[in-house]
Amino acid sequence: MSDGLPARRGLGGLTARIAALALAACVIVGPLLSLVVWSLAERWTYPAAWPQRLGFRYWSRMLTADFLDPLKTGLGIAAVVTMAALLCAVPLGYALARLRFPGRTLVLLAFLLPQAFPQLPVFAAATREFYRWGLAGTITGVVLVHLVGGLVFAVWTMAAVFRAMDPALEEAAHNLGASATRAFATVALPLAVPGIVASALLVFLYSLDEFTGTLLVGAPFVTTLPVYMYTASQGYELQIASVTALVLMAPGAILLLLLERVLRAEYLTFFGQI
Amino acid sequence: MGWAFACAPPLAILGFVFLWPVGVSLVASLSRDGHWTLANYERVWRLYARDVLYTVGVAAAGSALTFAAVIPLCGWLRARAFGPVEFLLKVPLFVPFVVVGHALRVVWSPYVPGFAASWLGIAVALAWKHLGLAALLLLGAFRGVDESYLEAARQLGSGTGRVTRDILVPMAAPALAVSAVLIFSSMLASFSIPLMLGRGSGAQMLMIDVYYRFGQHGDFETASALGVVSYVLAMGAALVYVRRITR
Repeated sequence: MSDGLPARRGLGGLTARIAALALAACVIVGPLLSLVVWSLAERWTYPAAWPQRLGFRYWSRMLTADFLDPLKTGLGIAAVVTMAALLCAVPLGYALARLRFPGRTLVLLAFLLPQAFPQLPVFAAATREFYRWGLAGTITGVVLVHLVGGLVFAVWTMAAVFRAMDPALEEAAHNLGASATRAFATVALPLAVPGIVASALLVFLYSLDEFTGTLLVGAPFVTTLPVYMYTASQGYELQIASVTALVLMAPGAILLLLLERVLRAEYLTFFGQI
Repeated sequence: MGWAFACAPPLAILGFVFLWPVGVSLVASLSRDGHWTLANYERVWRLYARDVLYTVGVAAAGSALTFAAVIPLCGWLRARAFGPVEFLLKVPLFVPFVVVGHALRVVWSPYVPGFAASWLGIAVALAWKHLGLAALLLLGAFRGVDESYLEAARQLGSGTGRVTRDILVPMAAPALAVSAVLIFSSMLASFSIPLMLGRGSGAQMLMIDVYYRFGQHGDFETASALGVVSYVLAMGAALVYVRRITR
């Protein structure tokens, strides 16, 4: 889509592009670059404008159990959350997209509420209830609290995937004598695989990055990387926190680079909620 | 009957971990030691009225900053698609809240100590995180405006700035209003970003108050009353979602 006026295409347009790019790069990349500098700053005291000593000492701490244990815990939780969320969301997304049943609007509404409510007070109340049921400070408790957000992402993306699919394909299966279940399993489900993969990646990333619920429900026994990072930054270990921050950004960055073309706008808006 | 089987497990989890706790916090906010009372709200009024105002102010400033940056940029991108800038604008979507909070703490700390935890520091960090979402929503709305209007304005000699101000913004006003409500509510309810930025002296963001009231004072009732205040303040977002479904 080029500008209509020829006069603007020349040098002025190029300058404007370079200026816009420089501005956007400064604002967006600047803070992320400072994470890199901090992660390498072995010594940086105020008021020096640049670290006095740079090195990989803090990166080498990644190989210790301090760092690896929260990473493993987080990956395990994210794997369980992703599987459970999709097992729930694929049938429900299909039902919401294809069937008209009483209470359908209410179900849709229920799966939007967690987006609309401030999470922290709700998770605080959940933590108190979890204490009574012996779920506070357990992996199960953290999985459950991650499942709330994970289900919201998964149900809405799966409903969108099935809604975008031409119903004529399943009708053809019906006409050839397939039952509703068989039409779902042999026609709709295989066609939905790319959507299921995208949805699974979203949920996995959400769980890996989830902080609020993990901090409240998981304390003091379950530590994932975001919680580890918070603890480090509270102890003024800004370098350790910066290394962790960069590691936490990696999966999202890979997804952004690899899947930018595949991810549709409605999935992208969900990323804003992480 | 298949739909009932499909709905039951996810609804059970949602009810157990989300809807039930919402109810618990509503009841707790209105009771203490087994009696119904408004004392918790009275305490919120006495101790936290200033923090509520502060939170609304910071969220308003953050939203204003977000749109001040995104409206001109998206107007410019509507006139000429420029991949690299559009890509950069989407980056904050993929950066987790905790990381944003930490990055916008350490970027200032060697040069302007204390800025990150100030009201402006919080507003800037919140605006940074919401740039991606705002750009995505706004660019979609701007691209939905019919090309012929823009062409007509350009023929009459309007530059990109005037086209944005006089045509794109008014025509995309409903979408703009919806994204403003969503972003403002999200900023009101923000917890990880202000927590990572550190506790400045003076007023605090509402969610930080809820966290410390619950975690350190063990005062679940007052924390719940603060929570209910935040539910009411974020009601705009709930209404947007309800309208989206019932339409």
